Amino acid sequence: MAKIDQLNETEQDILEIIKTVPDPEVSVNIVDLGLIYEVAHNEEDKQINVIMTLSARGCPVGDTILQHVQTVVSNMYPGYYVDVDLVWEPQWTPALITDDGRAQLDGGF
Amino acid sequence: MQAGLSTKNAPSPSVVLPHYAYGAVAFITAAIMMFFAAEDISTTYMTPKVLSVAHVLILGWVTMIIFGALYQLIPVVMEVKLYSEKLAMASFITLGLGVPFIAYSFWVDFIGASHAMITGGSLVILSVLMFVVNTLGSAMKTENKTIENRFIVASVFWLLLTVVLGLSIVLFPQILAYGSFQIHIHIGIIGWFMMLIVGVASTLMPMFFIAHQLNKKLLEMAFWLLNGGLLVLLSTMFFDLGNYAKMGAGTLVLIGFIMFFSYNLGAYKKRLRRNLDIGMKLSVLAFILFALTLVAGVLSSFGSLIDGDFLTRINLIYGISLIYGFITALILGQMYKTLPFIVWLKLYQDKVGKFKTPLPADMHSEEAAQGHYFFFIGGFMLLVIGVWLKESMLIKASAGFMLLTAILYAYNTFKILMHKQQLKPLVMPKIRKRPVPVVKKDK
Repeated sequence: MAKIDQLNETEQDILEIIKTVPDPEVSVNIVDLGLIYEVAHNEEDKQINVIMTLSARGCPVGDTILQHVQTVVSNMYPGYYVDVDLVWEPQWTPALITDDGRAQLDGGF
Repeated sequence: MQAGLSTKNAPSPSVVLPHYAYGAVAFITAAIMMFFAAEDISTTYMTPKVLSVAHVLILGWVTMIIFGALYQLIPVVMEVKLYSEKLAMASFITLGLGVPFIAYSFWVDFIGASHAMITGGSLVILSVLMFVVNTLGSAMKTENKTIENRFIVASVFWLLLTVVLGLSIVLFPQILAYGSFQIHIHIGIIGWFMMLIVGVASTLMPMFFIAHQLNKKLLEMAFWLLNGGLLVLLSTMFFDLGNYAKMGAGTLVLIGFIMFFSYNLGAYKKRLRRNLDIGMKLSVLAFILFALTLVAGVLSSFGSLIDGDFLTRINLIYGISLIYGFITALILGQMYKTLPFIVWLKLYQDKVGKFKTPLPADMHSEEAAQGHYFFFIGGFMLLVIGVWLKESMLIKASAGFMLLTAILYAYNTFKILMHKQQLKPLVMPKIRKRPVPVVKKDK
């Protein structure tokens, strides 16, 4: 599994696709919110793994966000098995939000 | 997908949504009734019409929406499925039927064991009992024993006590001599509404503000102070403990509320979302109005030391700033943070990633929301000034503003409830084309 700052080209593409997934509550994409921890692309096994978290345990749209990630990645990589795993450790903190994400939160709505 | 996610635990929207529709209609009704009760409101709170408006607001508007919202929020806060959806639906129907009976009975008959009052009161008690069973049944399933959960569980006990005491007053008015009316009001307001609001708001506000690392000890202390204060207050009814005990109870409750206020102030200060949407603007306004409630509450608890006329006005402002101020503003705001998500999940849950969908924030009219934000502030200010000056014209003007608030709010509620699915083709980023790696064959 590659941490998101150590991704190869294909995994970076996958991350770009995941960037189309917004958190419906704040209208900021979940990559810039720092919710994606790891992405792995395995050509041989035709498998893509995403490890992610949510900003709050009780997030009412949590599994819709996970579903969204799985659908967009599966659509772009037909024939691949896409697995999206939700983890609570390490716990998400606001420090994980990117500069772009912060800018959107400050003035996005 | 993993367990513990609340969408999977969420109840059917058909259980939750009717509560919002009923609440919006009750809010409009209360504003119209307030117009015709303006003369009474300018005098005292113990009049038939004031009690009628109060019960439409408290039961038809606030309690109805709280019930509905809580059925949606129990899975969020407790991370379990709701104990019974059928019970929730039955509770909605009985509460919905009971409120008009009670309102009518107060309006025409004041306090008395009329058929309408007994019918309405019994329906409301039945509704509350079903709600209590549902909440406690859900709480017993949860492994998530947070302080927020404890507030919710405690609130339903106080709710039960409130309605039982309320109906007892109607059936046995002689218990009024023991201060039962004031206790009914206080355990209803502090024990039910506030206890619940502290529990739910302490979960939701930091989540919506995106604020982390808050001081939960404040909530822990608030829990014991509020419940302790209420127990002391309740005991003054059974044991003649005098005014000092009531002041002591008031002080405990006040410190508890200050703890709750500080917790949310901490969330506000640490928030990452600097620009607030309409839902959060109204919620922040609610907390500002809550400060007025606290001041009026302190003055009211020293009632025996101050002039009777002054005390009547303070008591009215205390009740108005809490029900028509803090709680109403919070409900107006939190509607925008809950209802669009419920409808959005229902319509778009299985469409995300396949189509471009609107966001929950796109489902209401922003102009209507901004409009009722200002009408509400105007209506509230006119009401407080009107009560203070005992000027029924100002109260009628306030009722007009509140009616406009209620109409615009209802417009947005029904706009969200009747939102039709809007799907557009999804535009995805282009993936770079790379040469297919050459596979070396083993010799």
